[in-house]
Formats: sequence, structure tokens, C-alpha cells
Amino acid sequence: MNIEDVFSSRLRMKILKILMQVGELNVSEIARRLRVNYKTTDKHLSVLEDESMVKHKVFGRIRLYMLNESSPKTKAVQSLIKAWEHANKQ
Amino acid sequence: MTPYRSVFKDETKLDINYVPHRLPHRDRELRLLMEFFSFLLRTPEKMTQRIMITGDVGTGKTALSQRFGAEITREANKRGTNLRSIHVNCREYRGSLFLILHHVVSIFHPNFPRRGYSAEELLGILLQVLDDQKAYVVLTLDEFESLVEREGSEAVYKLTRLQEMRLNKPQRISLICILRSLKVIEKLDASARSTLQSNIIHLEGYSKQQLMDILNDRVSLAFKSLTVPEDTASLTAELAFSENGNARFGIELLWRAGKYADAEDLDTVVPECVRKAASSIYAVMRKSDLALLRLHEKLFLLGVARLFKESEKAYVSLTEVEQAYAVLCEGFDVQPYSHTQLWKYLRALSALGIVKTEVSAAGSRGRSTLISLPRIPAYELEKELSVLLQKEES
Repeated sequence: MNIEDVFSSRLRMKILKILMQVGELNVSEIARRLRVNYKTTDKHLSVLEDESMVKHKVFGRIRLYMLNESSPKTKAVQSLIKAWEHANKQ
Repeated sequence: MTPYRSVFKDETKLDINYVPHRLPHRDRELRLLMEFFSFLLRTPEKMTQRIMITGDVGTGKTALSQRFGAEITREANKRGTNLRSIHVNCREYRGSLFLILHHVVSIFHPNFPRRGYSAEELLGILLQVLDDQKAYVVLTLDEFESLVEREGSEAVYKLTRLQEMRLNKPQRISLICILRSLKVIEKLDASARSTLQSNIIHLEGYSKQQLMDILNDRVSLAFKSLTVPEDTASLTAELAFSENGNARFGIELLWRAGKYADAEDLDTVVPECVRKAASSIYAVMRKSDLALLRLHEKLFLLGVARLFKESEKAYVSLTEVEQAYAVLCEGFDVQPYSHTQLWKYLRALSALGIVKTEVSAAGSRGRSTLISLPRIPAYELEKELSVLLQKEES
């Protein structure tokens, strides 16, 4: 997927920001924080996972999503978000 | 306003959650625990352990398990074993196995969801989490009664037998169950009971001397030097001993007494501060108890109250009280009673719990009866008795 396709979604950017803040979350909780339904959240998480930007662990019926820290794309996005928020504070 | 000064050096050392590095008079039990769990330092994956610690309130069950948890974790981590000691007070989680297990899982995954699975699934999840992180856990279930009462045999059975469901996999969770007595265990069915009752460490209530050692340790940690006289520590130990050797009670009393000393801007925590502290903890003595005393009992007790009010001692002798009583009799224009009668009064007052008596230790000349006033501040007792005696006169 092209960079513009990944970042064209406001929800995907929000997911990355949330996971950066809290570390790991299950799908329902991410959906609750985004104020969208489970299916939509799951769809966006799949896109991000296909790009290796997030990964998940399964515990029984629970899927916990987290950033894939080893991915260069994730690292780049993390730096971008940090720089952006730092600049906004100043 | 005068600048604030305090008798405390570090009052957090008297906090209920503070676990001292040294646990006086519990070294044997600590060593025993280390022995029971020594496999965690050599072959943690090969076995697990289940221990029960029993004992009354304030006998050091929680402190012992926490000190042990800290030490075994440090030793295991030194050897490269990922061991976690997790202490859970079951009552805080309303005795629910699900909430307890959720708390444990959330130590490893802080945002683990609270809904969508059963306690049994959660147990499986916990083992998976531990496998994932190659971690071992010593799980201490404090106030275990609460879990037994709410969940019964099944939960205990699940907890204790969880390793058997996964043969040939590393053993992950050892248990320490803390409870006051084994009575509650009798409610469990035989199979759940048998999995628990193999290793029991029972903690007896502390003796007065042991309480003195504990309190002196805490005094040196929490108070500035020379602010707590020996009499004060001794009276506190005495009170804690009368509460079935409850060290926690003694430590709390010490803290409160320090607060009373600070509030009155005193340089030292005098025994009267302990009495005030005790009266704020105990149900204050009923006025009706005093009103029912006979005239000479009141005068005798007033003598005791005056002596304590005028001195900073924790104990007075019967001879001193007799002298104070004689002076009061003169003031009230009555003939003082004999020693034998006063001795009887003293026993009655002691039985009522108003005063405490003990025979002086060997070493002093002869044996004399020492009287202490543990539960009510002397000034309060004096005020109350004076009012009653005035009524009686008029």
C-alpha cells in the first residue's frame, strides 16, 4: 500500500496515536476510544497489520494489539507524531 | 505562630504498608519459607509450591510474606530467573477469583480487558502470559478466607491444580495463602483441602518482649532520636500485648501517640500520648462504669489518675497510689481504707479493664504491684471522677 493510502485515514492515524500512548489494547477498547464500531476498527487494524505497523497477540478470545516496534515504518511514524505534538505544545 | 516541629523523622516507617528490612522474631519463619521455595532458585520450571501462613491479626503474616517475596525475587533475578512476587489482598477484590486473576494478568498487560471471558479462561490466559514472558510467579493470596467464602471449593481446586492441566510444560505459579485460622478451610471439600494443607506456617502472637523489640526497631526508623522514652515504648508494647500480641496495633498506637505529641508541641512522646492514642482507638470507657463505682473506689482511681497526670511515668506503684488516695480521703473528710481493701479495689478495677496491674520484675527490692492506665488519658479520667465525686458530696 502506498504511504498516502495508509495515512489518508483519520482513524488509522488515531489508532497509531492511541497505541503509542497506552501500549496495547483489545479491539473493543480501541473501537470505544475511536467511537466507531468493532468491524470498522478491525478493518483498519488489518490494514495497519498488513503494513507491519501493528501486531497482535491472542489470549483465548482476546486479541491485544500493539505497535510493531521493530518496523521502520512504525519508528518513522512514532518520530513524526512525537515531533508534531512537541511542536504543537510550543 | 511557632515554626512546626515534629517528633517524627520519617512517619512512613509506621505506615501499614511499610515492610521493614528486618523482621524481628520472624527470622525462623522467613528461613523456612526460603527453604520451601528454594527450588525457584535452582529449577523453577520443575515444580511449584503451596504454603499456608496462619496467625492472628498483627502477627506479621503479611509482612513476612512481603519480605519473603522481595528476597526471593531479588535472589532469583540475580540468577537470571524472571520471578515475580505478587501480593493480592482477596478482600480488596471482594473474594472474586476473576477479579484477583484479572489483577495478576494486568500486572503483565495493564490494559487487559475486564470482560468477555470466564475466570477459568483467565487462568489459562495467565499461564499463557507467563509462558510468553518465561516468567514464574509466587502469588500470595492475603485474607484468603474471603476467596474461600465467596468462591468455595471449586476456585481453590482450580487454583491449586492448575498445573496438572498442562503436563510437560514448565510450572509457573506457586501459592502462599494467608489466613487467620484453618477453620475456613474446613468448609472446603476433601480434594480442595488436601491440595492446600501440606505446608502450614503458624505465627503465634508476639510476647511483650518481642513487641518491645519490634516497636524499638520502628522507633529508631520513624522517630527522631531520644523522642520516645522507654516507658512509652513499654506501655505501647503492653497494650499491643493485651490485644493478643498484635504488633500492627502497637505500631499504629505509636504513630498516633507521635501525632498527639506533635499536636501538643511536645519534645517527647510521653506515656500520656499513648493513653490518648489508645482511648481514640479503643471504645472509650463508658461513663456508666465509673458512676457505678463506690466512693472509695472512685477516690482510689482518682489517686491513680492524679499520679499519672502529674508524672510522665507509664507505671505507678500501689504504695504511691495509696499515698495519693490517703490525701484525697483527707480532702473528702473520710477515713481511708486499709491496704487489703484497696488491693481488692485494685483487682476489681483491673477486671473492669480500667487499670492494668503487674508485679514488678525480679531485680528490684521485694515485689511491688505496678499499676498502669492503658486505655484512658489520665486527665480525662480525673475530670470524669471529679464530676462524679462532686455530685456525691452534694
